[in-house]
Amino acid sequence: MAAYILHLAILGGMYVLLAASLNIPVGLSGQVSLGHGAFFGIGAYISGLLAIHYAVLPFPLLLVLAGLGSAAVAVLLSPPALKLKDEYLAVVTLGFGLIFELGLKNLAFTGGTDGLYGLPNFGMQGADFLWWVWGAVALCLFVTSRLRKGQFGRNLTAIKESERTARTLGIAPLPLKVGCFALSALFAGIAGSLYAHYITFINPGVFGLHTSILLLCMVVLGGMGTVLGPLAGGILLFLLPELLQEFADYQDLVYGGLLIVILIFRPQGLLGRAPGQGRRRFPLRRRTQPAPASTSNA
Amino acid sequence: MLKVRSIHTYYGAVHVLKAASIHVGPGEVVAVIGANGAGKTTLLKSIAGTLFPASGRIDFEGTEVAGLFPEHRLGLGLALCPEGRRLFGGLSVEKNLLLGAFHRKDKDGVRQDLETLRQRFPILDSFWNRPARNLSGGEQQMVALARALMSRPRLLLLDEPSLGLSPLLAKDILKTIRDLNREDNLSVLLVEQNARAALRIAHRGYVLETGRIILEGSGSELLAHEEVQRAYLGKAYKEIWER
Amino acid sequence: MIWQQIVNGIVAGSAYALVALGYSLIYGVLGLINLAQGEIYMAGAFGLWIAAAVLGLPLPLAVLFGLLFSAVVGLSMERVVFRPLTGRHPLIPLLAAIGLSIFLQSVALLAFGPETRPFPLEFEPQLWNLGPVTLSTLQLLLVTTALALMGGLFWYVHASRHGQALQAVAMDREAARLVGIKPHQCVAQAFGIGGMLSGAAGMMMAAYYNATYPYMGVLPGLKGFCAAVLGGAGSIPGAILGGLILGLSENLGAAYIHSGFKDGYAFAILIAILLLRPQGLLGKSK
Repeated sequence: MAAYILHLAILGGMYVLLAASLNIPVGLSGQVSLGHGAFFGIGAYISGLLAIHYAVLPFPLLLVLAGLGSAAVAVLLSPPALKLKDEYLAVVTLGFGLIFELGLKNLAFTGGTDGLYGLPNFGMQGADFLWWVWGAVALCLFVTSRLRKGQFGRNLTAIKESERTARTLGIAPLPLKVGCFALSALFAGIAGSLYAHYITFINPGVFGLHTSILLLCMVVLGGMGTVLGPLAGGILLFLLPELLQEFADYQDLVYGGLLIVILIFRPQGLLGRAPGQGRRRFPLRRRTQPAPASTSNA
Repeated sequence: MLKVRSIHTYYGAVHVLKAASIHVGPGEVVAVIGANGAGKTTLLKSIAGTLFPASGRIDFEGTEVAGLFPEHRLGLGLALCPEGRRLFGGLSVEKNLLLGAFHRKDKDGVRQDLETLRQRFPILDSFWNRPARNLSGGEQQMVALARALMSRPRLLLLDEPSLGLSPLLAKDILKTIRDLNREDNLSVLLVEQNARAALRIAHRGYVLETGRIILEGSGSELLAHEEVQRAYLGKAYKEIWER
Repeated sequence: MIWQQIVNGIVAGSAYALVALGYSLIYGVLGLINLAQGEIYMAGAFGLWIAAAVLGLPLPLAVLFGLLFSAVVGLSMERVVFRPLTGRHPLIPLLAAIGLSIFLQSVALLAFGPETRPFPLEFEPQLWNLGPVTLSTLQLLLVTTALALMGGLFWYVHASRHGQALQAVAMDREAARLVGIKPHQCVAQAFGIGGMLSGAAGMMMAAYYNATYPYMGVLPGLKGFCAAVLGGAGSIPGAILGGLILGLSENLGAAYIHSGFKDGYAFAILIAILLLRPQGLLGKSK
């Protein structure tokens, strides 16, 4: 029993990490990515393949390489895509995810539909993974909160509101957006490596569209752009199917229905603030003189 | 015919119209003049239905219209020719006009009106099947006017018809409006920045300033009024400076 | 050999074109990408299956039933999910469409089970040999039907009063209201008609591949979207052109480049188009 709970905690932590990483482009800068599963997969496969072919490499290095590799792909591929409007970006990322999945299935060195198996776990036990996973979660949430509050975050909000206006203020949207994607890919890649060596086998199925949609649901449910939102959304949507084993067939029904209901009735998610109810950060300055009333108009 | 009683309209949080009251009698051309931001377009939009007043009443031929959507007001005989023309650019002139008569059920009447307007505005004839976006500003204004007329309105609301037009074309358009009033007994409520031209063709007028009606009178009265001359007609500045 | 692929491409392309038309109609009127269009495709196929296998109706009635069923699904989507979301940030209806998509797939899964059902009606397709190509009457029937539907749509949009209203709302919503058009009605019409077209495509492909199953709409839905964008989002001739090009590329690519990648070609084309000419082939650049 304790082992089962440990397993849930580890796997759940990975999904939380993935959701938290997706929250950076989706929540902070309003860029919908339906291909996040692919970044997860890139990290997993990089780590897995390196472990197979270069067995000497230690785990932490693999972790870092997986993250950086995933981020590199993001940096290379995202700039042209990020110039597109919301809807188109969403479908392009979807297409990217699909092409990635097809690539995995059809290329020989990735093991095809069977994937890679027999991956080393570097002698780590469940508890070790627990530390790694939740450590990464903490790091990601910390980074998110720093980004939100700092200049980066403010610039992102400006872009989200109106790109054109932001440009006139000297904010260059593209590097910021690419940065968001790179960060999210970094953490997703790390999650991939953790997953690969915990489960010790990986195949294309786990990194496909279904996972990408699930992650998006987690982010929206928890509250897009909030720091702890992915935690709430991730835990809830991960535990739900585990607890309701008999209702496994109803999973997608619940995910889809929940997403719709939330978007209609509470788009800010569980932890987000209702629109129009933000705390006033800059209290209105009281006028010392009444505004002049004149009848002549220029 | 149209009685606007003390309406207050907000644009978001901004209180644009403050207790504005105007009326238009049958067969009249009424002009509302004022500076930018005075609330002229808001007034017209409130009457046409694109904006809803927060309080007050708008009475059109005995029916309270303040809460109705614009598509419902059309049936009562109220038509708006909006600011900036707002034509259906990709559609031909003919189709634009036909859409003007969308809510009408009498196919023959529509066809007849189409022909009548084609005769009356010969400019339209040359562009009959061309996409409306290819026309110049003045021509587009004609199309917009004709489109509004296709719904056989009893009261025509015009929002800044001379906007963006050269003085010659502006005069042309306003003359056309005056002719429509005289020949077809069409009532017109006209909102204009070009105060002189508007007051010249109007029977009566109102001056709107920061959301309030501050002056009312006949067209000629207002043209001669000192305040109007100073603020909107550019006269008598010298006297003010020397005072 | 290539001619056979071209024929296959045209058949597949006709189906994609119909789905793409559904997207374009809705996008034109509402500016919304209804990613659940593929599920209406699936609903059409199942509608026909219910009519034929469960209710025992003959083919023409079953088809009619399928069309109506698809229209109803489309209209319900609009009423229940998208109408409450009008005026919100464009991201929100997009996410809602995704949620709707998986929701409907799940509904179909629970209602009908995962197994693939054959087409419920028997027919004996005649085969004609024309030189290097073998055509079946089924292929001819399907393409003709698709063309008929497209023709009907053209008539509707250009000649009928309601179709003109639809165009007007797509061009300038507020101006349309000023001439008495009720935008909500036009939106509903777009969903209903777009739904019927997608459902027709679903029925066609259910017959062609002899397969009806809950997830059958996922890829065609997405590919239909790619076709719509390729041709120019919101453009009706564009959707048709996009669909045909996509169908042909897919089949030719699978035959001559790599068959395992078949499903990826549509997206590769999408990405290429969005990078090179985002307004699509027949769309207007802003």
